[in-house]
This record gives sequence, C-alpha cells and structure tokens, in this order.
Amino acid sequence: MYQSFVGLEIHVQLKTETKVFCSCAANYGDEPNTNVCPVCLGYPGTLPAVNERALEMAYLVARSLNCDLAPVCHFDRKNYFYPDLPKDYQISQFHRPLGTKGYIDLEFRRNHKRVRIHEIHLEEDAGKMIHAGDMSLLDFNRAGTPLLEIVTEPDLEIGDEAEALLQELRRLVRYLGVCDGNMEEGSLRCDANVSVNLRGAGLGSKVEIKNMNSSRFVRKALTYEIARQQEVLERGGSIPQETRLWNENRDITETMRTKESAHDYRYFPEPDMPPFTADEAFLERVESRLVELPAPRRERFVSYYGLSQSQAEFLCDERATADFFEAAVTAGAAPDQAALWMAGDVQKWLNRAATTLTETALTPARLASLLSMLAHGRIHGKIAKQTLTRIFEEDTDAETIIQREGWEQIRDETVLGEFIDTVLSENTRAVDQLKAGDARPMGFLVGQVMKATAGRAEPQLLQELIRRKLDYNVIHVLSFGGAIAGRRQEDGLVVPGDLVDVHELFAGDPAVPDSLRFSEVQLGQFLSEEITPADWAALITTVNETITSANTGGVVIAHGTDTLSYTASLVYWFFSDAPVPIVLTASAVPGNAGGRSDAVDNLRASILVAAGEERGVHVVYGKDDFYPINLKFERAGYTAVARGAAGRAGRDEVAGDRSDFYAGVFRNWNKDGLRRSAPALAAEARELQRAELTSRLEEALSSVFVIKVYPGLSGDALISLMDAGVRYFILEIYDTGTANLRETPFSLRKAFDEGARRGVSFFCTSQQEGTVDFSEYVTAHELWRRGAIPMGVLTTESAFTRLVAAMLVCEDDRAVVHTMEEAE
Amino acid sequence: MWPKTLKNAPGQGNYLEFLARRDKSVGAFLHVTGSIRQNGGAPSDSGADGGNTCLEGVPVAVKDNIAVEGMPLTCGSRILEPLVSPYSATAVERLERAGARVVGKTNLDEFGMGSSTETSALGETNNPWDVSRVAGGSSGGSAAAVAARMVPVALGSDTGGSIRQPAAFCGVYGLKPTYGTVSRHGLVAYASSLEVIGAAAESVDVLEAAYAAMSGSDVMDQSSLDHPVPPPDSGATRIGFLGGELGLSPEVAENYARFVEALGDAGYETEEIALSTLEYVVPAYYTIASAEASANLARFNGVRYGHRTDYSENPEELIRKSRTEGFGSEVKNRIVLGTYVLRSGFQDQYYLRAQKIRTLIRREIERAFAGVDLICSPVFPTQAFPHGSKEMDAFQQKVADRFTGTANLAAIPALTVPSGLAGGLPVGMQFMAPPFGEGRLFAAARTIGEIFPVEFPPGMEPPWAADRE
Amino acid sequence: MDSAELTTTIDMAMLELAPDESDTVQRSVSQMLDYFAVMAAAPVDGVEPTTHAFSTTNRTRPDTRNERSVADELLESAPDLEDRFIAIPNVL
Repeated sequence: MYQSFVGLEIHVQLKTETKVFCSCAANYGDEPNTNVCPVCLGYPGTLPAVNERALEMAYLVARSLNCDLAPVCHFDRKNYFYPDLPKDYQISQFHRPLGTKGYIDLEFRRNHKRVRIHEIHLEEDAGKMIHAGDMSLLDFNRAGTPLLEIVTEPDLEIGDEAEALLQELRRLVRYLGVCDGNMEEGSLRCDANVSVNLRGAGLGSKVEIKNMNSSRFVRKALTYEIARQQEVLERGGSIPQETRLWNENRDITETMRTKESAHDYRYFPEPDMPPFTADEAFLERVESRLVELPAPRRERFVSYYGLSQSQAEFLCDERATADFFEAAVTAGAAPDQAALWMAGDVQKWLNRAATTLTETALTPARLASLLSMLAHGRIHGKIAKQTLTRIFEEDTDAETIIQREGWEQIRDETVLGEFIDTVLSENTRAVDQLKAGDARPMGFLVGQVMKATAGRAEPQLLQELIRRKLDYNVIHVLSFGGAIAGRRQEDGLVVPGDLVDVHELFAGDPAVPDSLRFSEVQLGQFLSEEITPADWAALITTVNETITSANTGGVVIAHGTDTLSYTASLVYWFFSDAPVPIVLTASAVPGNAGGRSDAVDNLRASILVAAGEERGVHVVYGKDDFYPINLKFERAGYTAVARGAAGRAGRDEVAGDRSDFYAGVFRNWNKDGLRRSAPALAAEARELQRAELTSRLEEALSSVFVIKVYPGLSGDALISLMDAGVRYFILEIYDTGTANLRETPFSLRKAFDEGARRGVSFFCTSQQEGTVDFSEYVTAHELWRRGAIPMGVLTTESAFTRLVAAMLVCEDDRAVVHTMEEAE
Repeated sequence: MWPKTLKNAPGQGNYLEFLARRDKSVGAFLHVTGSIRQNGGAPSDSGADGGNTCLEGVPVAVKDNIAVEGMPLTCGSRILEPLVSPYSATAVERLERAGARVVGKTNLDEFGMGSSTETSALGETNNPWDVSRVAGGSSGGSAAAVAARMVPVALGSDTGGSIRQPAAFCGVYGLKPTYGTVSRHGLVAYASSLEVIGAAAESVDVLEAAYAAMSGSDVMDQSSLDHPVPPPDSGATRIGFLGGELGLSPEVAENYARFVEALGDAGYETEEIALSTLEYVVPAYYTIASAEASANLARFNGVRYGHRTDYSENPEELIRKSRTEGFGSEVKNRIVLGTYVLRSGFQDQYYLRAQKIRTLIRREIERAFAGVDLICSPVFPTQAFPHGSKEMDAFQQKVADRFTGTANLAAIPALTVPSGLAGGLPVGMQFMAPPFGEGRLFAAARTIGEIFPVEFPPGMEPPWAADRE
Repeated sequence: MDSAELTTTIDMAMLELAPDESDTVQRSVSQMLDYFAVMAAAPVDGVEPTTHAFSTTNRTRPDTRNERSVADELLESAPDLEDRFIAIPNVL
C-alpha cells in the first residue's frame, strides 16, 4: 500500500498600496512598465527601503497561522539570473523566516487534520515575461510587489485535500484583508511538492509541480501526479527528483527541462537592510489587526446561531458576508431567517446582477427590517421577495416600499374577524360541509376573505381564525401504499388497497378531538416494496401542494414498513423545514383488519402528532415519535405476535397491550445529534412539476448504487456498474470504516482506481451502528485517501436518499459531493 | 577663494575650458558637464542648509560610480557606458542644495575594484605629481582632480581604502566617514556592507563642510544613520600609532616615523599599539567584498539598460554575452571569486568565516579605542607607483590594503592627511576614530596640518591663476 | 580551485570565458583562495558573524506612493522596446 505526501508553497501577493521595497504603486495590471522606478528596475545605486505595511501584513498572516514569530526580521539575497528579476537576486528570507512552526486546521471529507506550516517569509515578486514570436517582452510592474510565501509541511495526501487547504488559506488571507486571493490573476499562486512511497517507508523522492493557475488545477495536477508516481513505483520503477509543469491542455504533468547547476541560490544576509525588530509597538499593531478567522467563525455560526454546516460555510466564505449576516442579526433579524434569505433570494439576486453584497443597496438593517415584517406577518413571503427586489433596485427600505405599495397584510384579528364573519354568514353551505368533516370548502372560504380584503389578509392567520371560529383543524392523510392501506384476502395474502376512511375510523374515538377534519388523498395502491420514482415524485409534489395550501394543519403519510426508512428520510431532505407537522407511519397488519390492526393505533398517534405544534417531519410508530432520518427497520413486526398464534388469521389479532408488538421494530441509529428540523436540502426541487420530478428522480436513481460490502466482493462488479452508468456508490462497509483494498481482484481496489479515473464518488456508511469517520484503521485512511467520503452518523438509507435529493438540486458532481460531506 | 571663482564666473565658460585643458595631462575626468547647473538639486526645504555658505558655488567632481541626474554613470565600465543616470545620489542632492555645483564625473577603477584607477575601461588617470605614475584608486580621478587644483573637493567612495589611498598618492585630504553616516543611495554598489561615500579635498574646511552637507540619515537608504547627539568629544589627546613590522617602503617608513614624532611635538600623547587581527584584514575584506560584489553586479545583464550584446538568440545567451563583453578582467575575477565563496559547501569556510573575523576585528578596534582617542597608521606601504608596475601587480595591490581595510570592516571613520613629500612625491598618513568620531579626525587634521600643510604639484595653478596659462 | 569548480562557478556567475581568459581567472582566483587560507587560523569559535555595521533602530517606509514617476525616462535607457515592453530576443 502506498502513502502520498504533498506539501504546498503558496505565494500570497500582499495588498499594499506600494511595492515592498520602493514607493511605486503595487498595481501590476496597469499599462506595462508604468509602475516602475530606479529601485524596482534594479538601477545601479538604488537600495531597498522596506514597506512597514508589508511587514505588518506578513506578521499578521504568520500570527494567524499560529507561527512562532521571529523577534527580529532578517532578509537574505537569493541569487539567480532571470530576465524578469531586475537585480538578478531576489530579496527574500532564508536563514530566519519571519514565521515558523505554525499550523492550520483543515477539515476535508470529514477528516480533521492539522496541517503544519513549515515557514512563512516575505519576499519581492519578479516582473512578467511574455513570449511573442522570436522575442520575449518584459513588464516590470509586478517586480517588487510584496509576496508572502507560505510553506507547509508535507502533511497533505491528495489533490482534493490540497485544493481544500488552498481555499481555506485563500479565505484566511481575504479575511485578514491582506490579499484578494485571485489565482487566475496570480495574486495567489501555488506550487507543490509530491512524494509517493510505500506506506511506512517515509518520504520518497520529491517532485516539484509548478504552473497550477487555479485551485482546480492544483487538485487535478496533484491527483494526476500521485497516480503517476504510484504507477511508476508499482511497475518497479523509481521517481527522479525533478520539477514538473502542469499542462492544463493535456491534463498531465511534464518534466521541465532545467540546467543542473541552477539551484545553488547562494543565500547571504541582505546588507542593504538592517534587521527589523518586531518590537512591542509593532506586535501590538499586528494584534490589533487580528480578526476572527473563517474556521472558528463557521463553528461559532453553527453553535451560537444554530445554523447548519452548509449555511455557516456559505456565510463565512467571505468576511463581508459573515459581517453582513451578524449585523443583520444584531439589527434584529432571526439568525435562521437571515441565513436562509442570504443564501437564497439575496444570493440569487446578486448572481443575476453579477455583483457583491457590499456593493448593493441592501444593508443589514434593511434586511433585518424586511425579515422582521415577514416574521410579524406584516407581509407574506411572496411580497417579501418582491420587496427585496425593490430594495435592491430602488435603494430604499422595506417600510417605505410596503407603505407606498400598500403591501402590508391585514393581521388585526378584529378587522379580519369582521371579514371572516361576513364571509361565513354568506356561505353557510360551505360552513356546514366543513363542520361535517369535508375539508374542501376551506380553500374557497379563504379565497372569499382574500377577495374581500383585496388579497391583503395574512393567510396563515386567516386560516387559523377560520379554524378557531369553526373550531376545527384539517389533517391531510396521504395513502402511500403498504399494509396499512392494504387488506388481507381470503387466501391470507396481503394485497394493496385504499386506506380505510379515516374519518369513519375515528368517529367517536375519544382520543381524537372533534375539531379535527380529515382530507384523504390516495396516492396509489401498492405495497411499499413496489415504490417507483414516479410514486416518490407524486408523494413529494402532493406534500408540497398540501403544506402550501390554505387548509392544512398537518400531514400524515400512511406508508409500508419495509421502505419507510427510505421514504421518511427522503421526505425529510425535502421538507425538514415544513411549516406544519408531517408524520409518516406504517403498520404491520393490514388496515382492513379494523380495530384489531396496529394500523389504527399508529394512525391515531400520527394524527395527534400531525395536529400538534411540532413542525417538521416525524415518524410515528407505536408510542414512539422517531426522527425521520437514520430510521432502521430492525425487526419484522410479525415475529412478536407470531408467538402462540395459530393460523394466518391469528396474526391480525393484535389485541390488548401491544407494546410487545411495537418494541424494537424501528429504531433511530446514532440518535444523538439528529435534529428534526433544519433548512430543507432539496427545497428547490419540491417546486418541480410532477413529471419533471419523476424523470429527474429516475435519472438520479439510475446513477446511484448501494452496495453492502462483503468478503470477496469483486472490484470488477463495481466497474461493470460504472459501465452501466453508475456514478455514485453508497458503500455499506464494516465497522466505522474499513474495507478491503488489497491488491486482489476481490477487493475494492480496482473499483477505486477506475472510479478515480471516471470521477465516480464513493460514500461510506456502516453495516453497524456507529460513526464512520475513517480515523481508526489504516485501511479506513486509505479509503479516505482514495476519495471515499465517510458519511458519519448517517445510515445507508438516509445517505442514499440524501444523495438522491442532492442530485436533484446540485449543479454538478462536486456540489453533490460537497452536499454529502455536509451531512449531519 | 574657490567659491568666488565660480560664483563670479562670467568665467564659467573659461572654467570649463580650464578643466578640459588641465585634464589633458591628468585624465581625472570621464565626463565634464557642458554647462554647470546653477540650481541643481531640489530646493532647500528648510533654512538649515543655507548655513553651509562656504559651499555656495563651489565646483565639485563626483566619482563616476555616484549618480548625478542627467550625467553618465559608467563606473568606469563598458557595461554601463551607455547609461545616463535618471536620478541623483542623496549625497549629491544634499551638496547641491548646500550650493555646490557638480562639474563632472571622475575616473575610477572599474566598479571601484582596484588601487590604481588602471582597471577603468574608459580612460587612464595620471598622478598630477608625476604623470608616469598612477593616482591610486579606486577614487583616483577624484584625488587627482583635487591635487591638480581642478576642484577643491571631489566625491569618492571608500570600500577598502578607495578614497584614502589615492588621497595619499596625490597629497590631499581623503575622508572615509563612519559607515552609514552618508547615504549610499546613488552609490553604485560594490560591497554594500563596507562602503561609504566620502570625499577627497584640498582643505579640512571644505572637506568638513562637504561632509556636514552630505551626512545624515536618508529614507532611500535604510542602513543610513544620523550622528548621535551629542557627538563624541571632538578633542583628542592620546593617539595610538600602529607599531611593529609594517612592511613599508623606506620612504614611507621614514615619513611615518617623522609623522609619529610630529604628533608628539603637536602635544599628543602617543603610544605604540599592535592589532593582532591585522593579518586577517585583507582576506576577510576581499572575501566579503567579492561575495557582495558578485550579487551587486548581477543586475548588469543587458536587459534593462547598459551594454547589450549585438546578437543573441535567447535571454540566457543575451545575459551571458552582455556581461562577458561588458566587464573587464579584474571585475570578472572578483565576480568569480565572490560567487565561489558564497556557494553552498564553501560559504562556511570563506564567507561566513570572514564575517566572524569581522566581528573579531571590530572587537579589537573597540578595545583599542578604550585606551586611545585616535589610531594613526600608514595608508599604503608605498607612494604612488608607476603605471603598469610589475611589483605592484593586482595581487600585491590587494595585499597592500591592510592598513585601510580595518576601518571598513570596523565601520569606523578614517582620514588621510598629507604628511609631506618624499622624493618629490607626496605621502599620506591615516587617522582612525571611533564610530561617529569625524569631528576628532578633522580636529587632528587641522592640528597636524600646521606641521604638514597640504602641498600641490608644481605648475598646477588654480583656475584663477591658470586662466593666465 | 579545479577547472570543474571553475566552470561551474563561471556558469553560475553568468559569464562565458574564452580558454585563455579562463586560465587567468583560475590563476587569480586560486591565488586569492590560497591567501584566504590564513583565515582558518582565526579564533572564531562561538563568534557571531557581523552582517551589518550597526544594529540600528527600526527603519521602515510608510506605505505611501511616490507620485512623481520617471518610468518613461527609464524606458529610454532600455536597449530595445516593443511599445512599453522591454524586449529581448528569444528564438525558439
């Protein structure tokens, strides 16, 4: 087994006003050779004069990367001839870099790692040489721009991880305001050292990779180079120490022809600049410029504001965005709402307008006041979106817009009550229908009040008031196959059927309040093992229509037991933020067994939860209210009642205390840390038309495959699946993350090699309850290195549905992978 | 006398003609201005500089490794022959602000590398006392220009004795200031940690005025320094003179003895001192100087300015050929030597060791100044030698830097004073003072000047007299 | 200094010496290196090197631009220009 070592050398161009050793503007994008002077052009007799700001920024970065700071800053000359290097030596730091022994914490694919910083030093940039026909053209505008070189230890292992580190460093320097981090324009540059060797044998020969002009190229070049070196070693070859260039047109690294003698830089102390002592005053200035860095800020956003990992990542990507968010919260916005809007409608508008947050008319205070109007029901969601657009376009605040447009909703209960009374008195038939248990007229009544108020009634309050006046609540019961809606035939076999009439079932049931009304929707006659993508699409679109309709107090989904854990988690990914309770339930015994069936118990319990206050997705079975994700169907319900029962008919006899019957059928794995409500992962996709959603689900499902790993599993089998179009595997592996990767056809090895070539992703869950994090075994680490993503606490079923949901809303594979990495 | 000459110049034209005429035999100048800038340099930003009235209108010559805006800056090298300086050295600006007028650029050993001005690629400079002899170097042109009465003061640079030795050869005063007290901005770097701009002058007064005008820290040179306030006591009572076997020519030895005796006559307590580090001075000095030079001269590559080879196919060939064509052999020797002593594998043995020896030398000098106020020594073992001298080949010239190199390695100020003639040629002796002890040097020079007044070569009349030539 | 070292050093110094010139350099440099051998006897154990003449108070420059530009003048000194670029031959 091989081990790979990657170290990065990152050049950060400091955003000073002037160059590091002269007073020329540090704008290298200007007309060629305009920002040059005798000093930076290396004229005879000129001397460097160090820029205090550059020193400050350099120490600031070193401090932020937890380095030991040099008490005295010394410069050295690095001697080499090159036409773009005016003095033919570069003023740099060799003997005593200003920062040493630092580190940065990195989380990548759920693997936490402390990447050590070997050193940080300040130096001057060279000019630019452009090749044009039979000559080269030199522009020295960039010559002398302050450059900070950050050298990591070879603690990284793979290209993706190096890319992640680079991005984290980019965020860090942008947070500190010392660099704009633009890799395409070269203000952030990265070279890498790659070394592959047999595991345990330490570092191999070092190959330097250059010419990677974006973080994407860093990933691709390193992935390529690691595979290349490993292949050479596997063939029994050896790796020469050399410098290679990434060829972005051919997607390979190529040997750079160099002269052998070139690499004695003859460093010696720069005599022209006296050493700079980082005295107390200077260090205080540096301290005063420290800011909360992206990583701790993300953590704080999750722990303090209760945001999701992905929201925190979004908001903390740019300091200005995070600042905006916090300012909005300080101005009174609810953190979850502010986050939701900033990642949603605000970002959409910014994308469309191709601008950034700080350049728009939206201020934190304006957002906060908009959200507070929404929260207080002064406006509804649709109006809020329109108002947001107006704020951007008109540079004014929400209050002004709403007043001017007359968009404020009527939410005065007395005023609304008068409208309602009038409408109710004019529509006695509809009222009677409602009171008789038919939920349908609700929409009509709401519509009438809306009409009377010119659309300004606050819908949520309006519904509530009508319900209160008529004293009822509508629960929508969706029949989605399974035994609960099935019936046992004469021959004893259970066949799909329609759900029993719930209204009838609970008429007079003392546990069910009279105020509840039921609206039943049949979504199909099938047993739960027969669910197709079209069925799921139907379920999702129906739930969406239901929860957005004017007449919903809660939703119950009657489902089969067998696939409940799939549908429940899928519904969760789509509707975790539902404004009403959505309850999935099932039964072991067909519903037509009537009062003898567990279906009755479970439906009753579900209805009560659906009528309750706790929003979001639930699974109710027996007496338990389960989390919708990580649900495991662990024991067939029948086995409990089979004891002593004679004949099939006897099975449906579930009389008396049924606790024995329910016990242990379902269980939430890794229950700690699960939440019932969070921003819905696939909120966008639930708005799709049913046919469209069906075809997207079908497409997604044909590129996903779940495999339970077992001894002797053949890598070729997975490759055949790849041939058949599978791009994502959920691998249910052993323990907390091990699988066979040895050199044998009966291991995952070939599948991973081939997968890497084809861009196939592997997400790992465990066959046992536990957290998959790859931290325990060497085989697990190897899985990580080869690109497998540990799914943490998620079960196979939940990971699978998350993946499907992610594929519906993500633009590309990388976004899908990222979404999977952010799982609970 | 001098200021009036230039100031009252309807004779300006005559003065420039005088310079050209006089220089035919001396060859002190590489460039003489077509017209003297009457208002050179930036205007004074405060009234303070106005105090240096004794420099008002004074013509100065500037060694051609010090930048004067609009004038060549050749360093006596082919590689910089095409260059016109786009800026002025801080020292030059400050002198001009004090009223001085730059009249031209003087010859030097190529990039200051030599002790005879013979390594200049652009001209030969003769000793005004005897044109068959060298004027010394590397600031040979500046010392000769002063001795030949062409200017009262001329800027030079001193890396290992480059002002003091030609001053001694030509019989004028030559000051190597404390390292850093005169900004190096505009001085083409040879050995950055050792060198400093100074001057050769015909009198202590004009030398002191020039130094006062030039010195002080400069934003363009972060190694530059202000004199501490208050300055070290300018009076000296005890002078240590370097004793032991010094390897001097008979003429210099005899003159040295007489000079030391005269110090006693002038009222100084004299005592003989020895410097145990003396034998390391030249090796350490040349190691450091060559190392720094190899980097400092790397920038001359034919890309941005200066000599570019006629034909090359690629950047590397262009750089290699331009440098090979542009540098003279002594410069190449030192670049190769300096490159070698910095190479990894050799650096510890040579460069690093020399830097440590430098520490030893500084310590010893510090100790010596605990006992004496000034140190007196010869400047050079011989008087001016003939052009092309076999005895004084390039190597022997280097070995002979042993008395002057100490001041550069120890960063202390040193001053050459004329000590009379021997065999019709001048001899000069050197005072060294602790850091920032320039005042002490000037005071001692005035005292001893009573006994050894400056003398000028026969027939070398000053311009107001020479006008009648 | 042997000729291999000499060749490497000359190459590093970006010079290109004809054989006779190379011999002169070798003689001269070797003579100096021999002369430098005396340094080996100096008692430098535990002695810190002197890299700068004086340890001074901090010298830095404020991060403000010099508005007066001499860029155009500097370009006039360039041996070859292509618009505002300094041009050098590069025949591939």
